[in-house]
Amino acid sequence: MSADLAFAPVADLARMIARKEVSPVEVVRVHLERIAALDATLRAYITVCDEAALAAARAAESALAAGRPVGALHGVPVALKDLYDTAGVRTTGGSKILADRVPEADATVVRRLKEAGAIVLGKLHMVEFAYGPEGLNAHHGAPRNPWDAAAARMPGGSSSGSGVAVAAGLAPAALGSDTGGSIRIPASLCGITGLKPTYGRVSRAGVLPLAWSMDHVGPMTRTVADSALLLRVMAGYDPADASTSVLPVPDYLAALSGDVKGLRVGLLRSFFLESATPEVRAAVETAAKALEKAGAILDEVALPAVAHVGAASYAVVASEALAYHTGWLKSRPTDYDPEVRKRLQLGAFITGAHYVRGQQVRALVRNEVDAALARRDVLLAPTTPLTAPRLDERQTTLGDGPSEVRGALIRLTRPFNFSGHPACAVPCGFSTGGLPIGMQLVGRPFDEATVLRAADAYQRLTDWHTRRPVLA
Amino acid sequence: MDAVFDLATLRGAARVAGFTWTDEELEALRPVIQASLRLLATLDTLPLDAVEPTTQYRIL
Repeated sequence: MSADLAFAPVADLARMIARKEVSPVEVVRVHLERIAALDATLRAYITVCDEAALAAARAAESALAAGRPVGALHGVPVALKDLYDTAGVRTTGGSKILADRVPEADATVVRRLKEAGAIVLGKLHMVEFAYGPEGLNAHHGAPRNPWDAAAARMPGGSSSGSGVAVAAGLAPAALGSDTGGSIRIPASLCGITGLKPTYGRVSRAGVLPLAWSMDHVGPMTRTVADSALLLRVMAGYDPADASTSVLPVPDYLAALSGDVKGLRVGLLRSFFLESATPEVRAAVETAAKALEKAGAILDEVALPAVAHVGAASYAVVASEALAYHTGWLKSRPTDYDPEVRKRLQLGAFITGAHYVRGQQVRALVRNEVDAALARRDVLLAPTTPLTAPRLDERQTTLGDGPSEVRGALIRLTRPFNFSGHPACAVPCGFSTGGLPIGMQLVGRPFDEATVLRAADAYQRLTDWHTRRPVLA
Repeated sequence: MDAVFDLATLRGAARVAGFTWTDEELEALRPVIQASLRLLATLDTLPLDAVEPTTQYRIL
């Protein structure tokens, strides 16, 4: 029963709690016991809110007993990447600099989750200030990928703890943030679902920034349906975030028909599939065929401008990150992880003209993705071109040649941070070594409903998302 | 042919940006700065003159 509850989908937990088939206290306790038993090895959590979570669970139970109306996530535990402000609970950004920072107010999305009845289990590990895709952290140590904890493989980042916690049954759902792929990369490496919504769909207010114009926040779950459920709660206009849209928030769960008949899917081969390792490429091609067999109309499409995203997004991210960190870089330089400090320092050698050039390329890329989606409903590509590398691995070989691991991890996700299109990562296979393989579905701006429908339909056709890592 | 930046140039550029970093730090950064400037230079080869930079992000 305990393991069943730990790996139950959010939607099932919410339904069972609302029907009083299971107590929210029991659900929270099961997760806290797993955290106590496993997290010394996995290192998913920076802060566990055990007493507060149990108190909230007891209050949730009392509300049900009293017959009070409850929200869509009533009594369901969630965990937060440690860059979401939480009133009264420290929010460190995975850093030494903010180690003792305790916000006075919740981030907008945290408040919305709580208003829907969710219970915060704790705050999750991350790369310092979200600046890196491997999942490494010099201050706290790197979380371990649960699919091969013994060999110490990367969980992916920067939402490393979020990927590990959800994959290992230490939280039914988590929030991550994604500036170059930081939701989708750990989702790919840890074998879970991760949704980067359209830029402007979900408020970033109260979330520590890496690069304002590239940052997206979103859910990380085991199923697409659970991401749809969380997105419905999180999305919508927020006066505290000027980038948020006033477009109405649809019922994403209602869009999950399981039907992909006539859905036009554009497979991204050039740059995307071509750079993947043979195992990843084969898994994504097999997934494309599965969708086609289910009635989708498959073709291939290319996005030539993405070849310039590496240089252009570097100009944008490094400049914006330096602007945010200038004060601490002057006053507390030795408190940064040396690798993160170096990345920030490089921003000082980028000119304003470089930044504008980057924004020009951004317009090209956005227009190109829009054009590809004018005649298709979704685009399909690998999430990462490789499976989880070892923590000490710095160089790898991709389908198109040698590459630094860091650049390889971020290569296929970053274009859609740059363009702002919604993208959902789901598991689509396993390597011969037993490591998860991920693919991403990309859709039109603010059309998360179609992206989620396609990804959910794929999960109804396959069982990759139901597999669990073997943990000691 | 790449431009090669000596320490004095990097020291000056860092100061313009508001930072006073040691020569040791700048020397360690130098190869990465060279590589990043080489990467950024590729942007100057693109036909971008008629492309207006992104200044707004689909706020609807």
